[in-house]
Amino acid sequence: MRAWLLILILLTSMPAHAANLAIAVRGVDGKPIANAVVSVHLIDRPTPAPSTGHGFAVQQKDLQFSPFVLVVPVNSDVSFPNLDKVRHHVYSFSPAKKFELKLYAREQERLVHFDKPGIVPLGCNIHDQMSGFIVVADTAWAVRTDASGNAVLSGVPAGQVSLSVWHPWLRTPGNSMTKQVAVGANGGSDGFTVSLRPPPRAVGSTGY
Amino acid sequence: MLLAAPRFRRLRTKLTVLYAGLFGLAMLGASLVLFTVVERNAMQQVRGELVAAGTVFDRLLAQRTAQLGGATSLLAHDFGFRAAVATGDARTVESALTNLRQRMVVPIAFVVGVDGKIAGLHEPVASDQAAALWQALDAGQTSGVVQLGGTARHVVAAPILAPTLTGWLVLATNLDASEMASLQRLSAIPIQASVFQRDAAGRWQVAGGSDAPEPGLSRFIDAARRADAPSDVTTARGESVALVKKLPGMAGTPDSVLLLRYPLALALAGYRQLQLAIALTAIAGLIGTIFATWRMAQSITRPVSMLDAAAERLAAGGDAQVPVDGDDELARLAGTFNRMAAGIAERERRITHLAFNDLLTGLPNRALLLEHLEHALRHRERNGGTLAVLCLDLANFKAVNDTLGLAVGDALLKAMGARISAACDGFVARLGGDEFALVVEAGADIERLAEALLGAVEAPLHVAGHDVTAGASIGIALAPGDGNDSATLLKNADLALHRAKEFGRHSYCFFEEALNQRAQVRRRIESDLRLALKHGQFEMFFQPLFDLRKNRIGSFEALLRWNHPERGSISPAEFIPVAEETGLIVEIGAWVLRESCRLAATWPEPIRVAVNVSSVQFRKPGLNDVVLQALVASGLQPARLELEITESIFLDGTDATLAVLHSLRSLGVRVALDDFGTGYSSLSYLQSFPFDKIKIDRSFIQHLLTRQGATAIVRAIIDLAHALGMETTAEGVEENDQLMALRRHGCTSVQGYLFSRPVAAAGVHALLDAEAPELRAVG
Repeated sequence: MRAWLLILILLTSMPAHAANLAIAVRGVDGKPIANAVVSVHLIDRPTPAPSTGHGFAVQQKDLQFSPFVLVVPVNSDVSFPNLDKVRHHVYSFSPAKKFELKLYAREQERLVHFDKPGIVPLGCNIHDQMSGFIVVADTAWAVRTDASGNAVLSGVPAGQVSLSVWHPWLRTPGNSMTKQVAVGANGGSDGFTVSLRPPPRAVGSTGY
Repeated sequence: MLLAAPRFRRLRTKLTVLYAGLFGLAMLGASLVLFTVVERNAMQQVRGELVAAGTVFDRLLAQRTAQLGGATSLLAHDFGFRAAVATGDARTVESALTNLRQRMVVPIAFVVGVDGKIAGLHEPVASDQAAALWQALDAGQTSGVVQLGGTARHVVAAPILAPTLTGWLVLATNLDASEMASLQRLSAIPIQASVFQRDAAGRWQVAGGSDAPEPGLSRFIDAARRADAPSDVTTARGESVALVKKLPGMAGTPDSVLLLRYPLALALAGYRQLQLAIALTAIAGLIGTIFATWRMAQSITRPVSMLDAAAERLAAGGDAQVPVDGDDELARLAGTFNRMAAGIAERERRITHLAFNDLLTGLPNRALLLEHLEHALRHRERNGGTLAVLCLDLANFKAVNDTLGLAVGDALLKAMGARISAACDGFVARLGGDEFALVVEAGADIERLAEALLGAVEAPLHVAGHDVTAGASIGIALAPGDGNDSATLLKNADLALHRAKEFGRHSYCFFEEALNQRAQVRRRIESDLRLALKHGQFEMFFQPLFDLRKNRIGSFEALLRWNHPERGSISPAEFIPVAEETGLIVEIGAWVLRESCRLAATWPEPIRVAVNVSSVQFRKPGLNDVVLQALVASGLQPARLELEITESIFLDGTDATLAVLHSLRSLGVRVALDDFGTGYSSLSYLQSFPFDKIKIDRSFIQHLLTRQGATAIVRAIIDLAHALGMETTAEGVEENDQLMALRRHGCTSVQGYLFSRPVAAAGVHALLDAEAPELRAVG
């Protein structure tokens, strides 16, 4: 919800020639792909940095990370409230952020600061099946697709842009696909057809 | 289609061959079946064992995989390890891998990154191999056989989630000879295990080896890979049963198979023993059967061959009895055969009998007579002697037949045949009608035989309620004089018969005239003798016995003389034998006794009279009475009568004779043993009866002075008699010297021409009166 808000704000602060880009991410079989992060990077201009936000959190609830994928702007703090009755040992060894939090039950506070852009896979040392991702975006335009596989990038300037999609199970090196698109002055729509791996284990309903 | 059975000369061979052959075939068949069954069973067992070994291997592999997988997974989940891998801490990773290698005793442990990079592997790996491995891991396979480095390796992998898939931890063991060896050791059977991988050319290579595989093996593996059952393969190393087990490969890597090979030579070793035992048993059984059948066949063939031989003997006409042994069919056959042979022999005998014998009388017929005669003639030719053929004809047979009927006639013939047979010791045949023929050895007295035959025939016969008297005529021919072949002899005998018939019935006639004459004479004597007594033609003569002790005549020996009206004086030597043979001697002897006693009664006492008694008289009961009558009639004192008997009386049996002697003695008469020293002299006779006198035969006296032995014998007899208390008389004394010797030896009395010839009754008194002094002087 807050993500939506963020994106909206971003979009509204765009110059007049900015438009909305509606992206649809579909699977090979046509099914909508949720939890894909689509992002835009400008080509021959520096990509504006995202505006900061607060209140980002990845909950541990019912032995699952919620949300499955969280997009945060770089230099954000993310809290990890443990809403379960059991302990969790959240960790990540990603180059973007290495951390581990031994979270006692029902612990609310503890923040982790993400100062590098990149993908931060989350895991729980105690519970192997817990999986989540924090996408630390370095671009103003990074949105997660919803359940219907759609995302809207607002305030994208017209012109040639680099459009990327990322999904944790995308079957490509780096789990992302990039293509150059021309954005019209009035925006437009685009899409990706992606081939996903099967989910590693039984992931929660917030996942794919 | 007929199978021609081979022909055998010997039943034994046939039986043996057939039975042993059948048994052999049966055994062969059974053995073959057993062989095949054993072989098939063995192969099944072998295959089963191989499959079991394969299953064991599967289990082993699974266990190893599980074990390694467990260890791999454990490490892959280790937080520290995950941290090291995710953060790229190569040293930590390396030490963890080393630790794992040592702990799990595996040669290789490495990490394959999601990006395809390989860490911790100290062997060069071809890029395609690495890519293939990554592909397999990426596809989710966590175990299998891959070509890694230079050889096939069994790898076990576990994903490293840190927290997303960062890579895979891989353990690898070699599938080389040592692994195979440990696998082989685990197997219960001596299998050879090797791992094959398909090379670039599509051929199957021994994993880790580069030399060419055995030819054909590659094809075999291709073919057997699809089947999951053991099959046979023959290579240069020999025949074996092989099972090809697919090894789980990782996708994209070349296929691997595990070849489990069980050499048949080893596999079937035990069964070969069994088969050998079966074969040996079969052979031994066959040999044993042949041997036993050969022996046992004997129990069948021997009786059969004996029957065969007996049948041949029977065919040849000989004795055909076989020994009967046992109770079975052969024994019964032998018994039946024996009865048959006996029956045949019996029937033959009867037929022969019928052919050669007269039906009515049972006597031989003409045919047999001729045969016998021929045979006897041949025998006579070789061995000498005389043969006599007699033809006998019944006199009034025709009359009997006509008047009394044929039945009576037949009965008469039968009875006559029996009588004639009984009377004759030789060959008797019936020629037909009322004619009989006899063949005898003429050593016997033919005339006596003829007489006997006539007598036998003449005896009255009571047949079929009628009294019949028959007469006979006999014609006699002698060989070799009257002929040397049967035809001539019979013809001559027949001619003699005709002549005999002319004489009337009850006569016999010789063919040869001379013999005839003699027979005639004899017959005449006999007939005349019967009348002689009646006509008083007999006369008694007396010869004195000179008593040497008393030196005077002691007694007279009575000698019979016959004054035949025509022939004159006939010597006793001629008629006495006839009298004895005809039995007339009894009558004559009785007359002699009476006459002698009568005459002796007229002599002065104590002159005795010695009368000869024939053994024929002795045999006839009543001699005692005759003597008694003579004594009583004449009034002669018994002591003055001396009976002279010869040793021949003892021929009939000593006891009966002794009884008669004793009874005679009890009358008071004296008994003297005449002709002592000749004939059947037995000193036991002297012992058994107290004779009064012994008369020494003239033959001893005759040679008294010429032969040395005669003197000794005479002396011995005299001494013997003297010792027994018996008197001695020497007969036939003709010389003075003899007399002197006898006197010297102690002889009691002498008799002979030296003193006097036999004189008539009238001359006795003259002799007694004369008593010539010269006689007294002699001595």
